Amino acid sequence: MSNSIGMKSGNSQSGKRNTEKANRQWLWISIAPAVIFLAALTIFPIFNLIGLSVHAVEWEGGKAVYDYVGMRNFKDLFAQDPVFWVGVKNTIVFAVCAVTFQMLLGFSMALAVSRAGQVGRGILTTIFLLPIVLPPIVIGAMWRLLMGRDFGALNGIVTSLGFAPVDWLGNPSLALASVIFVDVWHWTPFVFLLILAGLESLDQEVFEAAKLDVKGFWQELKFITLPLMMPTIIITMVLRIILSFKVFDEIYLLTSGGPGTATEVVNFTIYRVFFGQDRVGAGSAMSIVTLVGLVLLITFSQVIMRRFRKGASV
Amino acid sequence: MNIQKHGGKIAANSLVWGYALIILVPIIWVVSNSFKRQIDILTGKTFAPFTWSNYESLLFSRQSDFLGNLLNSVIISSIATTAVIMIATMAAYTLVRLNPPKWVKWMLLGWALFFHMLPTLTFVGSWFIMFSSVGLHGTYFAMISTLIVMNLPVALFLMVTFTEAVPVEIIQAARMDGCNSRQTFFQVVFPLVRGGMIAAAALVFIFAWSDFSVAVVLTSKDTMTVPVAIATFAQEFEIKYGEMAAGSVLSMIPAITLILFGQKFVVRGLLAGAVK
Amino acid sequence: MKHETLKKSVRTTAFIAASIAALAVPAYADGDQPDISIVINQSPWLDSFISVVDRYEEETGNKIELDVTPFGGLLEKIRNSVRADVGTYDIVNVNALWLTEIYAGGFLSPLTDIRDGYTLAEGVLDYGATTHWNHETNSFDTSADLMGIPLNGNVQVLYYRSDLYEEAGLSAPTTWDELAANAAALHEPPSTYGFVPRAARNAVVYNFTPYLYSQGGSVFEDPASGNFNVTINSPEALTALETYLHLTSEVAPENPGAIAQGELIQLLATGKAAQAIAVIGAWGNLENPDKSAVVGLINAALIPSGPGGSASAAGHWVGGIPNNISDERQEAAMAFLDWFVSQDVQIGYVEAGGVPIRGDLAETSIGSDDRFRFIEAYGQNAANAVMALPLKEGAQVSDALALRLNQAVIGEISATDALNAMAADTLKILTDAGYEVTSLSDL
Repeated sequence: MSNSIGMKSGNSQSGKRNTEKANRQWLWISIAPAVIFLAALTIFPIFNLIGLSVHAVEWEGGKAVYDYVGMRNFKDLFAQDPVFWVGVKNTIVFAVCAVTFQMLLGFSMALAVSRAGQVGRGILTTIFLLPIVLPPIVIGAMWRLLMGRDFGALNGIVTSLGFAPVDWLGNPSLALASVIFVDVWHWTPFVFLLILAGLESLDQEVFEAAKLDVKGFWQELKFITLPLMMPTIIITMVLRIILSFKVFDEIYLLTSGGPGTATEVVNFTIYRVFFGQDRVGAGSAMSIVTLVGLVLLITFSQVIMRRFRKGASV
Repeated sequence: MNIQKHGGKIAANSLVWGYALIILVPIIWVVSNSFKRQIDILTGKTFAPFTWSNYESLLFSRQSDFLGNLLNSVIISSIATTAVIMIATMAAYTLVRLNPPKWVKWMLLGWALFFHMLPTLTFVGSWFIMFSSVGLHGTYFAMISTLIVMNLPVALFLMVTFTEAVPVEIIQAARMDGCNSRQTFFQVVFPLVRGGMIAAAALVFIFAWSDFSVAVVLTSKDTMTVPVAIATFAQEFEIKYGEMAAGSVLSMIPAITLILFGQKFVVRGLLAGAVK
Repeated sequence: MKHETLKKSVRTTAFIAASIAALAVPAYADGDQPDISIVINQSPWLDSFISVVDRYEEETGNKIELDVTPFGGLLEKIRNSVRADVGTYDIVNVNALWLTEIYAGGFLSPLTDIRDGYTLAEGVLDYGATTHWNHETNSFDTSADLMGIPLNGNVQVLYYRSDLYEEAGLSAPTTWDELAANAAALHEPPSTYGFVPRAARNAVVYNFTPYLYSQGGSVFEDPASGNFNVTINSPEALTALETYLHLTSEVAPENPGAIAQGELIQLLATGKAAQAIAVIGAWGNLENPDKSAVVGLINAALIPSGPGGSASAAGHWVGGIPNNISDERQEAAMAFLDWFVSQDVQIGYVEAGGVPIRGDLAETSIGSDDRFRFIEAYGQNAANAVMALPLKEGAQVSDALALRLNQAVIGEISATDALNAMAADTLKILTDAGYEVTSLSDL
């Protein structure tokens, strides 16, 4: 993917040397800030996490006592934790459904807006971006009220249409779907924004040239737009999947993992164990296991996207 | 053929405006809540007596300093976002086009991804210890640095994607004209990825602004940010929906202003004619 | 980029300088004690606490700084402060659920270390011995060290609609059967629910506690003396759970397994709940016309009794003094706490909207004030306050119990299976933590 620009400018020998030197300097200067921040602020925490996962930490007499337990935290997870694996399943279902809907909706809206006139574009973009501008805690609290069984506006609409009120968040079979709905409402703007930026930066000349070969909206979409947008689509999808695995605020305020374990997601379990129960060793082990699962899921989705890409390219 | 096209257009329009409605209605509801008493919000009344009490309680009560919190959020988020985008764009161009040693690219991006995939909550404790031990707890510096590092992975990946989209021919043309790497970056690449930078900056700003789990631990009373302030309304046994709504309305204003303002910079077909 | 860095450096330096300056010297006000700082959560009763603090500052000239934090961040802040080498806060406001963690961790100074021979004044409630901690048995024990003073007395009471009772000719129930009968009489969904439980997973253990203890059941055999044998799957517990499930399935809203604090208060405040067992702290909201549709129509009563008497789960707050602050500040914190418990101050506290930490206010001026008609029932319930999980691993056990209870409520498993699973899970947690305990045989 990356091309090396081998040509050097300047006519004189010293000119060439100066440019080489400047280029080498620039190479390292440009990467330095990123490296420094990552090194300074992530190395200690991550190694701390890995270290914690093979310990059990207790506090006695005001001091921490680290007890090496080897793989016990991991073994416990795999042996019989009733809640963690339900959480993993829920999280995967949640991530797949939510991200799919977000991608479809976000892409369609970005497409629509990029073709709209000046005024429509401005209004629609502002509206479409509103959900991510709201504080997450408010989104959770707000939808909890709206989906409330007795007083929620959603049921207000449902009953005015003649149906019985639905307990969107209290009914175990509906709870996860409701949470997914809220997540899609919340995060589609993310997809919308990135796809729109991607669409806007496409070279219009390609579209002009292709007008001779492709006829109509769908053909243009399938043979030109999608293949050109693939990199943006993939990165958006990967980021959304990762962020879905990290979902917390919505769950906390909407359902707190209930009813039963219907909306238990991994990040919430980790929160309860690591933070609520103060079992940092077990919580760290959970984080690492989740990380592995996430890597697998992303790799899997990449494979699928690559197949799709092969099929769609001209 | 025409009818089909027309029908398609109507369907598309209804979809778009339908979706816009689904977004707008709950938000308008939140705004209206900020002017209602709590009992009216709880009973789901659409029309209720108007009251300023939520805003009064938010802005003037003894324990709240909401305008100060807004200012803190603006300062912290703006600085963090600007820094992250600059750092990420510079690094992205280098990684993608300047052929650094392979291991550098893999290490940097790989580590960033690895870090991004772990839950933030597990790091907050470590960061608290780190900053407290040098006496920087509760400072802008602590919050800003943490926000930078938290958003660096997303920014890096986005800018790598956008930078890869810049055609190689343009870079080569710049080299032929006598630019070195730094000049190529600032004068040629930078303007071309501007659209992507704006989009990434918007997202990073929103992430930085909305952060709660780090802010609650790393900020002190003086540097408290808006999400922490709003979270005080989600209490142990009551959610103060009215004040929360009022806080959200005020919190949305800076962000919406930026969106309206930023739209000017996203120009269609930036690359058209650039190769020429 | 350079410009940003420069601006940042200047700002950083300024802040570092300011922080160091602020930390350097303990500020003294007009009074004879150094300033102290209390970390506390935002809550409906915060304003009443602030008024008490204001009064202290006026009367003594000593200054108190309050760091008000969202509830969701308070535990983290307390932990960070007490675990550090030098603490930020001089009094930490610890919720009942976190007490065992903070006590067992050895972070607080026993009050007798700060003031020789100090004891809890007569009339001050101890909420199930939670003001004391025994470091040997690792549990609450009134004969052991006094570790803190309660700052807010949030216990459960039985709420009921006095107007609905009057209409239907009912009176406050003294037994669970009477409660169920009252509920059946008033249950008319969806306009009125006879009884509203708080059976969501994050609340059900707390909600179930009175039922369990009123039957003479308990989670552990005798925690105060260090006996943590698991007794949750006893016949008494089964009776308790069956009582609870009867209420949740017959006279409660649909899907009670999803009702948490927010919904419970909403149903009470909007008038849909006829009866409920909830914390007394909600009283202020229910009497506020901006937040409640039933002002003046609510009353509080003693929670129904069973063969084991009446019990109320404690959800109160205890103020402790960390041991990582200077002696002067400890003494200043002690001065405040000691001043706080007097009857006069507590009366003022109630009048400002707080929940008192004394049980002897019914005979005072506020006992006859209709605005505070909850005082007597509160005192009675507070005297019966219990902590179901008085051990260091309490949070973990609570999560395990909560899962099964919630599953029983939503009908996923039977009551017997739930209790047996709870016993097995608790036993495993305890044995993994090094306790040598047994459990009862399966029901």
